[in-house]
Amino acid sequence: MNKSAPLLLSSLLALGLLSPAHAAGPNDAQIAAIVVAANTVDIDAGKQAEKKAHDKDVRAFAKRMVADHSSVNQQATALAHKLHLMPEDNDTSKSLTQGGATTRTRLEGLSGKAYDKAYVDNEVTYHQTVLDALDKTLIPNASNAELKALLVKVRPAFVEHLEHAKHIQAELK
Amino acid sequence: MKTALIAAAIWLPVLAGAAEHHVVIDGMQFAPQVVQARPGDTIVWENRDLFVHNVTAAAARAGSGDLAPGKTWRYVVPAGTSSFDYLCTLHPEMKGRVNIAGPAPRRAH
Repeated sequence: MNKSAPLLLSSLLALGLLSPAHAAGPNDAQIAAIVVAANTVDIDAGKQAEKKAHDKDVRAFAKRMVADHSSVNQQATALAHKLHLMPEDNDTSKSLTQGGATTRTRLEGLSGKAYDKAYVDNEVTYHQTVLDALDKTLIPNASNAELKALLVKVRPAFVEHLEHAKHIQAELK
Repeated sequence: MKTALIAAAIWLPVLAGAAEHHVVIDGMQFAPQVVQARPGDTIVWENRDLFVHNVTAAAARAGSGDLAPGKTWRYVVPAGTSSFDYLCTLHPEMKGRVNIAGPAPRRAH
């Protein structure tokens, strides 16, 4: 099991993907909170990487993650405001935030190429996990049409980020 | 006189056979991904995505710079340009191509 596996496992559990007994999906207010939490985790990871990354491609990727995920959060926050939807913290959003903080603490102790590799490995895992959550939990459970449309609209960004991260991951080996 | 000049400026490319092609940037894709154009044609890229993108063609030595959501970039294909690939350097998985055909056929008299 690689070092990213425990985080992936906890994230999957947090998103309810490994819990068939958890039949009731999140409501729109909870989905809004999960989206904001998921994006904030990657913004914070990107800010850390902008300072610590050794490789210029890794730094450029981190800068892009901060910019793109900030855009998603701005859109999500604006839509929640328009719909009078107050994001409702829940076990998943809390777990995502806590998991992100734990990962940043772990990465803070690394440097140079070891940091670059750990950051990019985590980005691959993170984007794959969020994509799975979008497809299996968030999009299917969104009841408001505009919220569902926003989730569908941002999905390609997670696909592009995942492929981009995988390419950098291959180059770092 | 001024009106006539403006009208001439608008219609001149059409009379010369130049065409305008539109590429929409949305969902982390260029659509259409491949454009068929001729020297003198104009290609317009419009960013309808939620994110900043760019159009960068190293082989053609052309680039839009950052295109914020809602912005467009117009590129007139210079004479002598060969077909070229391009990408968004911010999102390197986004790729497109411009195929250049020969110059527009002369109009029959």
